Amino acid sequence: MGDLSIKDLVVEYSSGGYALRPINGLNLDVPAGSLVILLGPSGCGKTTLLSCLGGILRPKSGQITFDDLDITALDGSALAKYRRDKVGIVFQAFNLVSSLTALENVMIPMRAAGMSRADSRERAEELLTRVNLEDRLKHRPGDLSGGQQQRVAVARAIALDPPLILADEPTAHLDFIQVEEVLRLIRSLAQGDRVVVVATHDSRILPLADRVVELRPEVATTNRPPETVRLKAGEVLFEQSTMGDLIYVVSEGELDIVRELANGGEELVKIAGPGDYFGEMGVLFHIPRSATVRSRTDATVVGYTAQAFRERLGVSGLGELIEHRELASN
Amino acid sequence: MLLAALRDMQWRMRRLVIAVVSTAIIFAMTLVLTGLANGFRVEAQRTVDSMGLDAFVVKAGAAGPFLGATPFAPADLARVAGEPGVVAAAPLATAATTIRDGASRRNATAFGAPEHGPGMPSTSEGRAPSTPEEVAVSSVLGRHVGEDVQVGARTLRIVGIVPNSTALAKMPNIFLTTEGLQQLSYNGQPIITSIGIVGTPKQLPDGYQTIDKAAGVNDLLRPVKVAVGSITIVAVLLWIVAVLIVGSVVYLSALERLRDFAVFKAIGVPARSILAGLALQAVIVALLAAVLGVILAQLLAPLFPMIVVVPAYAYISLPLIAIAIGLLASLAGLRRAVAVDPALAFGGP
Repeated sequence: MGDLSIKDLVVEYSSGGYALRPINGLNLDVPAGSLVILLGPSGCGKTTLLSCLGGILRPKSGQITFDDLDITALDGSALAKYRRDKVGIVFQAFNLVSSLTALENVMIPMRAAGMSRADSRERAEELLTRVNLEDRLKHRPGDLSGGQQQRVAVARAIALDPPLILADEPTAHLDFIQVEEVLRLIRSLAQGDRVVVVATHDSRILPLADRVVELRPEVATTNRPPETVRLKAGEVLFEQSTMGDLIYVVSEGELDIVRELANGGEELVKIAGPGDYFGEMGVLFHIPRSATVRSRTDATVVGYTAQAFRERLGVSGLGELIEHRELASN
Repeated sequence: MLLAALRDMQWRMRRLVIAVVSTAIIFAMTLVLTGLANGFRVEAQRTVDSMGLDAFVVKAGAAGPFLGATPFAPADLARVAGEPGVVAAAPLATAATTIRDGASRRNATAFGAPEHGPGMPSTSEGRAPSTPEEVAVSSVLGRHVGEDVQVGARTLRIVGIVPNSTALAKMPNIFLTTEGLQQLSYNGQPIITSIGIVGTPKQLPDGYQTIDKAAGVNDLLRPVKVAVGSITIVAVLLWIVAVLIVGSVVYLSALERLRDFAVFKAIGVPARSILAGLALQAVIVALLAAVLGVILAQLLAPLFPMIVVVPAYAYISLPLIAIAIGLLASLAGLRRAVAVDPALAFGGP
């Protein structure tokens, strides 16, 4: 009971007409009573994954199971019920309703769940006392510090005692004193069968976790000799949205560099011929490939690590590489 | 979520007050205009009622007993009076005339009827005219019994005052004997415009028709029909302005609260609760405006130099229409709230 399981999760959305897959085939099993940190830089899909776990975003494929419930199969009111009863969310920007007092903000999920005004008020007072805000019940968010607002947000998230707590960059807008308070609070939530999932790019809070999941694992960066790859016509060298550590130079043949579109189609970006190189931006900046490369004819390419490629190109700084300087002929 | 909606209104109190006051002024103007349009009918109705008649007999084909009348000789008066069902019959005449008021003249409607009726209204002061040289005038003229007044080309002695008797946008009525009116407007010719009757005639001589009191009122209203229509159009436009004001306030409120709605959705609040909160805001704005509008209308009405009688149905329908307006106006805001993506709640401020 209370275990969280993610299988082959793929999330795709459209950005400027192109298909983006911030999460591409993620597998994860989290036992009940754990605190998991999703670590990764901006844009790596942390918030996207939280949205999927919270039943807010529907993945393209794959399955998320929590407490023996297949979230990806839920719809409409069942999904709203899941969000209300099973999930508590602590948002990055606190997201308290500015016209409501701290007490009323905490009361919202309980009132939405049909709890009486008196009961929800009593429970909200208990929760705010638990997060040391018993003297701030009647204050509006604008009159509270960032840390206090975040504690109100935590109290709201646990109002209905959900078995799954999701926290999106909970320390992003806090100073170190406030961070300390919030970290203690979040750690204390992972009790019993409850699962707490925290998304962050701040590696300083890793000691908090029972488990750390790196959403964009660093690919090996050790220098190694160039690899020659021979491709048949139509064979794919690498796919859009995947990570890689090699920059390729075409020796023979032609390759299509195409972008996958959100509507399922493709857009030809360029045809790479002998002497052309590609794939340098993803390797240099540790970001996913922005296009798929498929051989147009039988072709041969040589893959270089970033360091080897720099030597091959004969440049000293990154600037010339980023500007895609012509490759000197051998 | 109703609590959140009410708190939001407190939070944006200044904007709420502006919206309520603006809408209330519109509602008040709408009420006054409705009262104005109704005033024409009320004064015509009062005039007809004051005559104490049940119906009018006119020439077949005539549009009415007063302004749409076809004048005729009272040759068949005795026959009409003798028809079964007729209790009393009187020769009546109506004509537009003028009254000298200092150096200027003002329009008036003159009615001629026998001294002891039917057709002669009761007076609040003095008595009904008994000779062609006597007249009873409306109290709105501000004249007194015993004074002489120049009506048309004749000078008449005021013998009675009829309270608040007007027609055609507060134009005063004056009452003479039938002979007096014939001398004033028909050069003394024995011509009448209708036979006023008490009772219900079972049949009439050939060439005559009966016109009931409602049709008589409409006959008096005919000259102002275009004005009433215009006023009604302005009133409808004002309703539209009221819808736009309430609608913009609710829409702007919805736009500013999209992130709140996203958070509500993300934490499992059903969309219908969010919508109910928004609709409640619109209805409260409209209802508060309706209450204030009624009060303002009471203050504005006396400023108009015409009769403003706001009908009871307007007071009853105003809050109902206000609720409908509130809901209608909040539609755009509701659509935005329904469409909001809960994922908006994620991400930075």
